[in-house]
Amino acid sequence: MPTPDQLAAWISAVANPGDRVAFASLFRHFAPRIKAFLMRGGADAALAEELAQESMVNVWRKAGSFDPARAQASTWVFTIARNLRVDYARRGLDGAREQGGGEEAEELTAELPDTAPTPVEQLAAGQVEQGVREAMAKLPEDQALLLRLSFYEEQPHAEIAKTLSIPLGTVKSRIRRAMESLRRVLGHLQP
Amino acid sequence: MNKHHPDDELLLMQAAGRLSAGATLVVSAHLENCPHCRARLATAESVGGVLLDQIDPVMLEDGAFSRTLARIDAQAGQPAAAAARGQGARPPLPPGMEWPRSLDGCDISPWHRIGPDMRWSRVGLPQHPEARVFLLRMGAGRPLAAHTHSGREVTQVLYGAFDDGRAEWQAGDFDEADENIHHRPQVTPAGECICLVALEGPLRFDGLLARALGAWMGI
Repeated sequence: MPTPDQLAAWISAVANPGDRVAFASLFRHFAPRIKAFLMRGGADAALAEELAQESMVNVWRKAGSFDPARAQASTWVFTIARNLRVDYARRGLDGAREQGGGEEAEELTAELPDTAPTPVEQLAAGQVEQGVREAMAKLPEDQALLLRLSFYEEQPHAEIAKTLSIPLGTVKSRIRRAMESLRRVLGHLQP
Repeated sequence: MNKHHPDDELLLMQAAGRLSAGATLVVSAHLENCPHCRARLATAESVGGVLLDQIDPVMLEDGAFSRTLARIDAQAGQPAAAAARGQGARPPLPPGMEWPRSLDGCDISPWHRIGPDMRWSRVGLPQHPEARVFLLRMGAGRPLAAHTHSGREVTQVLYGAFDDGRAEWQAGDFDEADENIHHRPQVTPAGECICLVALEGPLRFDGLLARALGAWMGI
């Protein structure tokens, strides 16, 4: 498994000078994970294959906007695949392709003003992902399950509540406790 | 820092790409001026990154890599498609107030009078005709008819302040209400108030007249 630093270095090499060997490494790591991620959310294999390839096209096109100081490689690739899935859900395959994977959400992040660093921004990007990974491993299973379902499933939280036979309020409070745990761990990592 | 922010569930849904386009727009307007919530969103998005890393991979079909390269080559030289940015005429704002950048590219109607000292403007999202987003502008001390909601209602205060009995919301504050909240927002006496609102289900006004008005506004 490549380290986060290795993944970030590959993305930078893809941006400049358009390194296809680095892109092949990124493809080997991320494309099968994006496909699996989309299938977990209910996409059939053919659609997940299509959107995974399209996500990698966007990784190539947008590599220049990747800033390793601000985002972690896996999270950055996740947001690209997420935006493509959102576009697909709203406008179908052609709409998703036309949009090049949800320019709007990415523009939002790109255009946000630089302000005083917040606690998380003071951490190196790799530290955040590592901290979140460790904190997630320690979450009680009922909270970890809700995080996974929130990202994988197409259903709104009200439907997830029904499926799990718990009130919506419980879904929300478990998510809040889970996020508080993650922030607590990240807070401890602050310099 | 503002007092009222989107809750963790809402930010997690935004991070997961599960929020409606209208609600995403209003949350984005909040994020513009709230580094606190941008950091919270970044944490939520990194959950997505970790889950992506941890999932058991599913192999792609043979030839997937060369097909992807072919697509890249086919697009080479084409600049990334810029989103259409129809920046039409916009209704006037109080002096000193600026448009949130999240409304760039939206079609914003003129102010329509819907009552004494009470105006609204429809915010059209070019890619999402189904989104119900609008601006509400009310004079100092004006109340909005008591109502509840049939779905999620998210509000970002852009100017001035209102109080609905639960708390006071000031410029920069964010509010989320649903079918469990019945309220009668009232603008504070200090001056007029402008809010950006997205609805995921119709409002349910208590009074007949207010209901007719709501139907006319399409909310």
